[in-house]
Amino acid sequence: MAELSHAQEMKERLTPSLTGGHPSFHDVTEAVSIISEVKTHRNWYIALAITSSITGILGLMLAYLVATGIGVWGNNGPVGWGWDITNFVFWIGIGHAGTLISAILFLFRQKWRTSINRFAEAMTLFAVACAGIYPAVHVGRPWRAYWLFPMPNEFLNMWQNFRSPLLWDVFAVSTYATVSALFWYVGLIPDLATFRDRATTKGRQIAYGIASLGWRGSATHWKNYEKAYMILAGLSTPLVLSVHTIVSFDFAVSILPGWHTTIFPPYFVAGAIFSGFAMVVTLMVIARWIYKVEHLVTMTHLENMNKVILATGTIVGYAYATEFFTAWYSGNPYESYVFFVSRATGPYAWAYWSMISCNVISPQFFWFKKLRTSLPFMFVISIIVNIGMWFERFVIIATSLHRDYLPSSWGYFRPTFVDVLTFFGTFGLFLTLFVFFTRFLPIIAISEVKGMMAQNHHEAHYLDEAVAASEGKQPVGAAH
Amino acid sequence: MIQIQGIGNQTGKKFWRSLEELSNSPKFQNWVAREFPEGATDVLDGKSRRNFLQLMAASMGLAGLTSCRRPVEKILPYAKSVEGVVMGNSLHFATAMPLNGRAYGLVVESFDGRPIKIEGNTNHPGSRGAATSLAQASVLNLYDPDRSKEVLEGGKASTWEAFTKAAATLPADGEGVRVLSTFVNSPTLAGLRSQLAAKMPKAKWIEYEALSDDSLLEGSQIALGDSLRPHYDFKKASVVVALDSDFLHLDNRSLAWVKDFSSRRKPAHHAEAPAAHAAAAEHKPAEGEHAAPAAPAAEHPAADAGMNRLYAVESNFSLTGIMADNRLRIKPSDVQNFVFDLARELGAIAGLKVLGQQDKWIKSLAKDLQANKGKAIVLAGPRQPAVVHAVVALINQTLGNAGETVLYTKEDRRPVSALKELVGELNSSAVKALVVLGGNPVYDAPADLAFGDAMKKAGNSIHLGAEVNETAVAAKWHLPESHYLEAWGDVANLDGTVSLVQPLIEPLFGTKSAVEVAGFLATGKWAKGFDLVKAQSKLDDAAWRQALHDGVVAGTGPALVKNGADKTRVEAAVNAAPKSSGKLEISFVPSASFWDGRFTNNAWLHEAPDPVTKIVWDNVALMSPKTAKELQVEVIPDNVGMYAQKINIEVGGQKVEAPVYVLPGHADGAVTLTVGYGRKAIGRVGRDIGYNAYAVRTSAAMGFNTAANVTKAAGTYYMVTTQEHHTQEGRPIVLEASLAKFEKEPHFAKHEEEHVKLFSLFDEHDYSQGNQWGMTVDLNSCIGCNACLIACQSENNIPVVGKEQVGKGREMHWIRLDRYFTGSEEDPQAVYQPMACQQCENAPCESVCPVAATVHSPEGLNDMAYNRCVGTRYCANNCPYKVRRFNYLNFHKDLEEITKMVHNPDVSVRMRGVMEKCNYCVQRIQEAKIKAKAEGRATGAPGPYKVGEVLTACQQTCPADAITFGNINDPESRVAQQKKDHRNYSLLHELNVKPRTTYLAKLRNPNPELA
Repeated sequence: MAELSHAQEMKERLTPSLTGGHPSFHDVTEAVSIISEVKTHRNWYIALAITSSITGILGLMLAYLVATGIGVWGNNGPVGWGWDITNFVFWIGIGHAGTLISAILFLFRQKWRTSINRFAEAMTLFAVACAGIYPAVHVGRPWRAYWLFPMPNEFLNMWQNFRSPLLWDVFAVSTYATVSALFWYVGLIPDLATFRDRATTKGRQIAYGIASLGWRGSATHWKNYEKAYMILAGLSTPLVLSVHTIVSFDFAVSILPGWHTTIFPPYFVAGAIFSGFAMVVTLMVIARWIYKVEHLVTMTHLENMNKVILATGTIVGYAYATEFFTAWYSGNPYESYVFFVSRATGPYAWAYWSMISCNVISPQFFWFKKLRTSLPFMFVISIIVNIGMWFERFVIIATSLHRDYLPSSWGYFRPTFVDVLTFFGTFGLFLTLFVFFTRFLPIIAISEVKGMMAQNHHEAHYLDEAVAASEGKQPVGAAH
Repeated sequence: MIQIQGIGNQTGKKFWRSLEELSNSPKFQNWVAREFPEGATDVLDGKSRRNFLQLMAASMGLAGLTSCRRPVEKILPYAKSVEGVVMGNSLHFATAMPLNGRAYGLVVESFDGRPIKIEGNTNHPGSRGAATSLAQASVLNLYDPDRSKEVLEGGKASTWEAFTKAAATLPADGEGVRVLSTFVNSPTLAGLRSQLAAKMPKAKWIEYEALSDDSLLEGSQIALGDSLRPHYDFKKASVVVALDSDFLHLDNRSLAWVKDFSSRRKPAHHAEAPAAHAAAAEHKPAEGEHAAPAAPAAEHPAADAGMNRLYAVESNFSLTGIMADNRLRIKPSDVQNFVFDLARELGAIAGLKVLGQQDKWIKSLAKDLQANKGKAIVLAGPRQPAVVHAVVALINQTLGNAGETVLYTKEDRRPVSALKELVGELNSSAVKALVVLGGNPVYDAPADLAFGDAMKKAGNSIHLGAEVNETAVAAKWHLPESHYLEAWGDVANLDGTVSLVQPLIEPLFGTKSAVEVAGFLATGKWAKGFDLVKAQSKLDDAAWRQALHDGVVAGTGPALVKNGADKTRVEAAVNAAPKSSGKLEISFVPSASFWDGRFTNNAWLHEAPDPVTKIVWDNVALMSPKTAKELQVEVIPDNVGMYAQKINIEVGGQKVEAPVYVLPGHADGAVTLTVGYGRKAIGRVGRDIGYNAYAVRTSAAMGFNTAANVTKAAGTYYMVTTQEHHTQEGRPIVLEASLAKFEKEPHFAKHEEEHVKLFSLFDEHDYSQGNQWGMTVDLNSCIGCNACLIACQSENNIPVVGKEQVGKGREMHWIRLDRYFTGSEEDPQAVYQPMACQQCENAPCESVCPVAATVHSPEGLNDMAYNRCVGTRYCANNCPYKVRRFNYLNFHKDLEEITKMVHNPDVSVRMRGVMEKCNYCVQRIQEAKIKAKAEGRATGAPGPYKVGEVLTACQQTCPADAITFGNINDPESRVAQQKKDHRNYSLLHELNVKPRTTYLAKLRNPNPELA
């Protein structure tokens, strides 16, 4: 029904544009392009200064880490992975929403995605960039991290160990990053061409000219473009599921109680979508306000995303309950200990119950329409959800590792200032990339939004189809 | 030295920079000398470039000094190859380490002229192939950059020549000359002492060590009429009663005790045990369990005699108490009453019993002892007063143990009263020259003597020591002492066996040995240690060589004496004995790591966890939970360490503040203090670590003090341990049963292993061919003494990480000794489980390593390829035993050049970012393999090795013979035999990881009447 109401809303808002004061094609182009074309606002520089300073902290921390060793973090004897892998999984999870919105919703013809997909995809790429830092630097000898790639070289004279989930992870994440980047870029081409055509300075003409790969908007271009976009969407779809499935294998394939469980793949994917959507909501609420694109990114978009958050949050809650059930039902004392003692009542109980409150309880408020359509409320909840999802990864990693089989080697993980500042720094990187993105690239997919606008019956086919389908009628112009 | 050559001496074209240089006038020479004086840089600054170059030069130079390892006192280059020396192969030399009047017979591995690894000497009766953690770690002291390196006069650098000149002023007749040495157990030193006495008749020689067995000797003087030292034959003992004696560890005087004791902890319940064994135990093993190849019957000869029973009566929870089958925790002063009552129960002495509450215990114990007459040992620790030892001697005689399991040799007493006398003389300024020959009395003399103040009153004071310690600082002259691995000497063990102390290297610095300095005092001339020792030994060349080779001088050994105990004298002493008080008592135990404090600059020993508390880099005041409650102190755990509240201990105006540790199993009403810490003048490693318990130890109460005032102090102290969790959480980790249950149900350990059939996702390797290495660890033998841990550290170049890093859980030991408490908090038992890589056949670490840095060898080893490791730490996460160690930082970075000399060149030194772990001493396996190949021995199953040819470092040194390693494919090997033992089980077998190391379950043999 969301689909229907949205389609109607879009139709109502966009269709009468030729006669009334509603946005025309040109208006859309103007609204999006102007963000990048006006003189750089002082606030942009301020934002950039802040975010890049934070990125600078990240750089300093990484330099210190590489120069000194993993010992600058809190990782230790039993807890070999701490905030490094926690943050890696956290960022990868955030990176999930983008491709999900772009690919899966595209294939399912969820038209409401169009206003937010560009933004979500950018978020995916930037989150994956942040995530990618961790596997590279968390190894003891980062200068040898490339040994994880199966490239012929004279030092090793042998292959990687293809049994290792960590190696699968390398493939999964690098493939995901590559395909996401391609998908994003392909989607950008027509809009980049728009920017090129509107460019008034030599620099912009050249830059966008190169970036738009000679796009002229001919029918052949459009045909190839749509095909390519469809293929990439098809390629990305399994990746959305696979990347977090494989990330979850890092844990599930091990023999550690609390990690060794078959529920992890669906649980991780649901969690990733959960956190990804929450992050999109957080960013969208801010961006649509700053860039005055409330008419393109409507409350319906936000509400739909909140519904997804509610659904995946509930799935995640169910998964937590299932873990406890399995631990009890299996009769495995080590497994029971992890859940009933380590997590629920152990030294990390505070982390566990923070996770439960943030991830299971907080999204339940979205059952109420009033709350899920309230901007301040959803903003707060979306942040809480991401805190909760960070705790989920931390709980999985730290509580399972800190107390495993032999009580003699039980320990505890405590982060150092380097852990904290490195994580803080990744937000700097994430936001810096966003600041650049909003300044130099179309933050909303102009061509796709135009596709939603009914200038005439033919052009409005998407909307008609949707409305018609919901009314059980044959749409007008369905021959297309 | 900068050689200034006159310009005229040069060949070739002449260049000059000034007219002065051209003329090369004396004035110019003088200027040059001032400008570039020799040794201008402060050599004490360890980081200076000059020092670095010195050390570099020393290491390079020493690499060539191979000849000094041979029993020839000359340094020669190899003009011709020396027989037996193959470059790159190590050599082994027998020597001995003197300590506290006894000797550790050792075999030291030397590589390219560097001693690198210390093992026990199998020929030596006090070692029998084993070595303690102290002896093994002593090699690190040799390369200690903070060692005393030069003669000091009033704290300033001087020379031996200056000292020689100054020493000439010593009074010729010895008037006012006092020599204070550690216990003299070197025949050469004893000979020189006589020479000195002849030359300086008025001089006196006093021996003092902080930890002594004088109360034992005094006790035998009462009971046996002579100063006699008891020796024990634990092989023959079926019942052992330890009275405040940690004879397995801190009060151990011979590793033979541990060897023999543990030989009686190996009940032979093999499935294929010879019928005699089964019959002896009145138990038939379940039939058809294993195919039964003929087992070597002589595997554990003592097993026929059955498992012994150990009673421990003590206040501290010692390793002996942990091993005990029945343990009674009472205050130190109550031990006396316990012994009296036991003697009364046994009818050894007359009188009424005083301890009502222990009556049942005493009766059952007495019954057991009487049932094992002549096959029991009753022994008391050195902290107990003489009267206890007197009664013990009487009990041993009454039970017929004397002459059977308890033997005596004569030994001179070295009472603390001699030191007291000396202090008196010092205070009356009667001492013109005090020569402190080794030792550190300023630090460890009884507090009431105030030795440090008294020493200032000596006319002249000379201190010989291996480090610039508290006494060195107080002395006018300090002379650097040679390490025993770099100077000739000899040493007699407590039983009289003499060993030659054979150096393996020329003195690294300008040091001299105690023998050399004593020789100088006695003769006025400097003689070489070698000549002095050789002359004293009176051995011909062949016998000398033989003695060097064997590590013991043939024909020396115990001269047993048989004295009868005098009941009346003992009873008189008992009646005169002071009654015990109701006050809180403090007792003083040696440090498990540093003995009396002389090894306190040894980082390996600092980081070896205390066997009981697992605390590293600190000493604590141990007390029971009840006593802690009474004192209102507690230890606040902090997940990564703990904050201990502190107590003030005051004895006769002397005070010390110590952090508490609440030790379950400690006796109520007593506090145990560990000596050896709180050093003020020492190298960088040991300075100001822990508290100094000597500060409250008085000459009247060297063992324990009943007049101490203990109160809560303000503040807390942060401490770290290597084990934060002390129970097994009900998990089947250390399997344990009583002997009775084991005899009824010999397969109890196997029953734990029953589980559904497991399978692996991956194809499993075929392990049926060739050598297949495996290990068993007998939990019933392991005493938890850390010898294996230090052996491993030394063999495998394991770095020390320091207190802070241990607190973060980053200790690097490849083998650790897990200690779990069982039973109640007040009166628990404890068990040890040595834990190193289990070399799983289905290794979970291997499958998860993305770069295949840890892979399986065809011989069943879980190999680590350090060069390939990138350090993802996934393997460590997936290791169910958590035995993998990660180099979180570059732990080898701050080592000074000289310390690097201790490294074993057969094992790579790991850089940061690399994972490491036990690999069954793969370098030793390879060495044996190369040797087997070189000798052309047949290859193939079961392998070209002789049984027992390949020993892991931990196995080789284990005093309890708890670790067995070998080829499990060879049915003759001991390890293959042990794997068939009923007690054999795999830890975490249900994970299907198939560990190659298996454990033999722990048994206890408690007195059923005390159950």
